[in-house]
Amino acid sequence: MTPAADIPLREPAVSAAAGDAEQLERARIDASTRVPVLMFYASAMVWLLIGTLLAGFVSFKLHSPDWLSDVSFLTWGRLRPVHMNVMIYGWASMAAMGTAIWLMARLCRTTLRHPLLIVTGIWFWNIGVLIGVIGILMGYSTGYQWLEFPPYAAVVLFVAYALIISWAVLMFRFRRGDQIYITQWYLLGAFLWFPWLYAAAQAMLFVVPVQGVMQAAVGWWYANNLLFLWLGAVALGTAYYMIPKVIGRPVYSYHLATIGFWTYALFSSWTGMQRLVDGPFPAWMITASIAATILTIIPVATVGLNHHMTMQGYFPVMRYSPTLRFTVFGAMSYTVFSVVGILISLRSTARYLHFTEASIAYSHLGLYAFFTMIMFGSMYYIVPRLVGREWRYATLIKLHFWASAYGIGLMSLMLLVGGFVQGVSQNDPSLPFIESTGSVLPYLRGRTLAALLLTISHFIFAFHFGLMLFGLGRTSTVPTFLNPVEAEGSEGHL
Amino acid sequence: MKGLVPLFLGVFGTFAFSWVGLTVIPNLQIGALNPQMDEEGTDIYPAPKSGMADRGRRIYAANGCIYCHSQQVRPDYASADIDRKWGERRSAPRDYIFDRPVLLGKERMGPDLANIGKRAPVEEEKAAAPANAPATSPAAAPSPPAAPGSTKPAASGSPSPAAASSAPPAGSSPAPAANPPPSASPNSNGVPPIYSEAWHHRHLYSPRSVNPDNRDSTMPAYRFLYEKHPISGERSADALRLTGPDAPPPGWEIVPTYEAKCLVAYLMSLDQSHPLKEVKTAGGAAPPAGPPAAPPAGSPAASPAPAQPKK
Repeated sequence: MTPAADIPLREPAVSAAAGDAEQLERARIDASTRVPVLMFYASAMVWLLIGTLLAGFVSFKLHSPDWLSDVSFLTWGRLRPVHMNVMIYGWASMAAMGTAIWLMARLCRTTLRHPLLIVTGIWFWNIGVLIGVIGILMGYSTGYQWLEFPPYAAVVLFVAYALIISWAVLMFRFRRGDQIYITQWYLLGAFLWFPWLYAAAQAMLFVVPVQGVMQAAVGWWYANNLLFLWLGAVALGTAYYMIPKVIGRPVYSYHLATIGFWTYALFSSWTGMQRLVDGPFPAWMITASIAATILTIIPVATVGLNHHMTMQGYFPVMRYSPTLRFTVFGAMSYTVFSVVGILISLRSTARYLHFTEASIAYSHLGLYAFFTMIMFGSMYYIVPRLVGREWRYATLIKLHFWASAYGIGLMSLMLLVGGFVQGVSQNDPSLPFIESTGSVLPYLRGRTLAALLLTISHFIFAFHFGLMLFGLGRTSTVPTFLNPVEAEGSEGHL
Repeated sequence: MKGLVPLFLGVFGTFAFSWVGLTVIPNLQIGALNPQMDEEGTDIYPAPKSGMADRGRRIYAANGCIYCHSQQVRPDYASADIDRKWGERRSAPRDYIFDRPVLLGKERMGPDLANIGKRAPVEEEKAAAPANAPATSPAAAPSPPAAPGSTKPAASGSPSPAAASSAPPAGSSPAPAANPPPSASPNSNGVPPIYSEAWHHRHLYSPRSVNPDNRDSTMPAYRFLYEKHPISGERSADALRLTGPDAPPPGWEIVPTYEAKCLVAYLMSLDQSHPLKEVKTAGGAAPPAGPPAAPPAGSPAASPAPAQPKK
């Protein structure tokens, strides 16, 4: 293959031999999604910054518990659920909805109708998250993992979601062309799974509460499925769009993609109970979830293989395209996340990792290394098409990427190793329990360092995004590359 | 893939499959359990919690205790929980039938609390009062006696911890923090007997002051659950007896708020020591060994202990 000159660095919409009409249509579709999607992103960014600062507090307070502990709403046990819920419902869900709506409009080749309704929905969603956050801070947390928002906040979120997503789903009705692309499967799935999940969990916990330990089962069923069927599905769908789009090459195999999608839906939805291993439950529930977790290796392998084969020969493009670099990082992290998930759920390893910080590492691998990195990638792709400007500083993008990558890498490593150390001493009854807490403290300090890196990364990105939002990006027809393309032209490593 | 209908059906089908499989069917199996009772319909376990303890559960949930403390004892073949004396048997679904929200926990930065109430010294009030009185204030009653509802659950944990810990073959050296000899007298620096109500209050107010080995504890202090008052006339009965840097200036006292009392009442009510038919109690000999040792320790006759041989 010839060097970089052949790499389709430009967006195919520009470089491919598409007719003017098609470009015009794309521009029209993008324009229709402009206000809602930018609003989603702007809100998500604000929540991301809040959540990041909270993460720093929570991480620091865990090893320095006396810091700011005398005020009720600053106590660790309240800030921590606020951090989790801000990240899930504020950052992750809003970024996911923004990207998903844009992708849906593009793939259905139809303009987004009634963007104002969606804008109203966004306001409601923000208000819902805010109410929930205040509720937790005031001491009205429900005590269920990832469902800590008081039920009245959930009602607001639900109304908001209905306003937002009904029109996104209805785009399907107006779609042009018969083919439904892989991304659309994932997005349609996510759009429908989330409200079902949320409604089922709310109903079984607050409306017609189930008895005793079943609440914990419902809670974990919800939390794991939220991660897989809502956020994970959007992330995978986005990766299926961005990777082929940026390198300008079709997906390697539709057949593999089909297998990947259905096995993903089937197996990942059955996970969750492994987080209750050896708890007061019938053993079959836990075993079923462990088995399902092991079986998730099938979608991981097929999706991973598919992406890998699509990327084959085009990996050097990651040198230039910010979108591709973030997306591929996220797609690879999906594999890591799932493998770690399998490793920590086996009964033999759970003995040393259950009830330790390792489960936090697992959540962050899923929510950050996998989901969030893909969302960053999609934002680097979508935002320029909405504001009509290109990202201003390649250096900032590089800093963002490396701070994020090293930050999440360090954090996962610290929590996994620390969790193992903690678990080993927990499991040795000859050691006083307090030693297990003491043994993990150095790793928790390391995690605070990682949180600092991530904070830097997010503020850089927010600043850059702010520039774009206020029309201060570059006016250029060429996207912002991470490295100058001409200078690299001589590298023949393709 | 063509056509929306198969896609929609598949999406719905996978969701419904998982919902039915992981929540509906288990709910049929363990979602409508009744308390266990013996043939005469007495000795009912578990029982709903008292008003204060129930409210304490909300405070436990609101302040995120669940993120560091679990409330479940895993079986002996899978964990060291029973060796750590966190319970004599594994937890079972029936233990939680009145819990809402159920607070099983997901992590253990701190020890398990499933049986924390049972591990309290039995004769706390009588034993602690005279021993502590000289410490700081003559008038202080050691535990907040205000709520009869809160002290009852403590007493019902009949088999004394001493008896409990002596029965299983004592997994090597006992942990000082988790498993001290539960003498009913305070230790040298005026700290109340471990896991007594007074101890919990002091621990919540100043976690690292109760035990020199506890330096590594990452538990935050919950001082916002306590109030600082000037002493007017007599010291409040439930004021904390604090020493060292935590002590309030002379003429002031630290008293628990109602919320703190509820939280401690909840902690004192956590007790899964009652045997369940469906669960094997660890060590085999342990439960029968309990009752004979317990009565001298002063547990009221109404306790569930005598029913244990039923197994």
